[in-house]
Amino acid sequence: MSRLLGDDFILPELNRHNTPWFTSGSIQVQVCDDCKTAQHPPDDVCYSCQSFNLSFETVSGTGVIESCVEVNYPAYPTLVDKVPYTVALVSIDGAPGCRAFGNILNLPTDQVKIGQKVKAVYEEAVDEQGEKLLIPQWEVVE
Amino acid sequence: MHGKAVVVGLGETEYYKHGQSPISEFQLAVQSIQRAAEDAGLPTSELDGLISYMDNRNSPLRLAAALGMDELRWSNTPWAGGGNNSAAAVQLADAAVSGGYANYVVVFRALAQGEFYRLGSSAGKYATSRGTTWGYPYGLISPAQECGLQTKRWMHDNNVSQEVLANISLACYHNAQLNPRAVRYGRPLTREAYYESRMIVEPFHLYDCCQENDGSTALIVTTPERAKDLKKGGVPIVATAQGLGPEIGAYSYQKDWFPGTYLDNVGDMIWERSGAKPADIDVVQMYENFTGPVAMALVDMGFCTADELEEFTGNGNLEGPDAKMPFNTSGGNIAEAYIHGLEMVNEAVRQVRGESTCQAKDVELSLAVGGPGYSPGSAILFGAA
Repeated sequence: MSRLLGDDFILPELNRHNTPWFTSGSIQVQVCDDCKTAQHPPDDVCYSCQSFNLSFETVSGTGVIESCVEVNYPAYPTLVDKVPYTVALVSIDGAPGCRAFGNILNLPTDQVKIGQKVKAVYEEAVDEQGEKLLIPQWEVVE
Repeated sequence: MHGKAVVVGLGETEYYKHGQSPISEFQLAVQSIQRAAEDAGLPTSELDGLISYMDNRNSPLRLAAALGMDELRWSNTPWAGGGNNSAAAVQLADAAVSGGYANYVVVFRALAQGEFYRLGSSAGKYATSRGTTWGYPYGLISPAQECGLQTKRWMHDNNVSQEVLANISLACYHNAQLNPRAVRYGRPLTREAYYESRMIVEPFHLYDCCQENDGSTALIVTTPERAKDLKKGGVPIVATAQGLGPEIGAYSYQKDWFPGTYLDNVGDMIWERSGAKPADIDVVQMYENFTGPVAMALVDMGFCTADELEEFTGNGNLEGPDAKMPFNTSGGNIAEAYIHGLEMVNEAVRQVRGESTCQAKDVELSLAVGGPGYSPGSAILFGAA
């Protein structure tokens, strides 16, 4: 699937924290091996018990829209012909307290509402190092 | 009442629309500091501390040389963020002089967006930092969008209307019409024009957003003993606070942090340290990056409940020198100038001096609050001498 905001739009620079999210083709959250608390975005330390033993786990790939805004002003030059688009904050099912940003695809901006259930879909991209990305996005399922 | 440090000098350059300063950012910084020193009645050679914030580009070493300072005993900056640190920067000056580490400490903020890049336009082709990597690829790039996500959920949960945001913007514009320094002086705003203005990002219209400006603001902090020999005396710092909050970007939206201003703990500290309560405050300068976080901050700091916001902000209750709660009396970031809130700290001092163009009556406690919605939040309370 091509990208909502354009195939030439900003990509994440991949690193050990964001590679699972942006390349796995699944919703990956970091979970503490010791206290089992999920956290997002990932970090080097568990914020709940300060353990350094952290792993990535795959969760269901569904969630709920916690907030959503229609973006009208293009804050980046190539977005001039992409506005309006929706930026949402999605709570990740199976990872309590964890929320991720994304766009809501295939629904007019004025029909996106707080509380709607969503499922992850993936946009494809290739970065300048030739790494293939599968960028999580969201579609409303009800 | 703390009172071990006082503000003795205020300086401002002319304020311009972004990109329109005829002089360089460094010249703006120097000019604002010279004017603050002149206001205090001090030669710049006697200044011995320099503090700024928000990735300041004007090195204290370069400034100390250019201003002919004999010594530089103190230079630092609060960590992270942006205008949320406007009051925290003054707290560092307070710490320096009350700890005896320096005599006359300058806090300044200078901006020339023509010489440098326009704020918010610096995104490259790759999102490389912890703060950007989770949002930029989704077109979540600007603070307006971040604060929009926060505000929309908070308004949804608390049943807060757009009228509250309009009231805040209109109060800033109303008060700016009394202030010849204000970039929006002579440009009054009507409620109709507010609602007709274009949407930037839900729920913010154009006039819910701070301006973008060039200019510089400076103030000088010293001890009450030294202030006695200076031109205008000193305005005491009663209490200051920096608060805890999450890291920027996606980290701000996790667990119980969302939605929030990260000012509730700042409020707790200010009230505890000063012994004052919100009802005791005579005039408030509340940093508006956007109107929404101001509404949230009024509640988080205890000025009113969410249910009371329409009454608190409406019916002209924030407008003019005789307002029920004199508020953003210079016009604030929205209508005076956006020098990342330091111009609002100066206005809070001016209110105690009796020098405001929208002067509240009998000011004994004057509060300035740093940018809500970004951590660490900060606030500073000034009192009558």
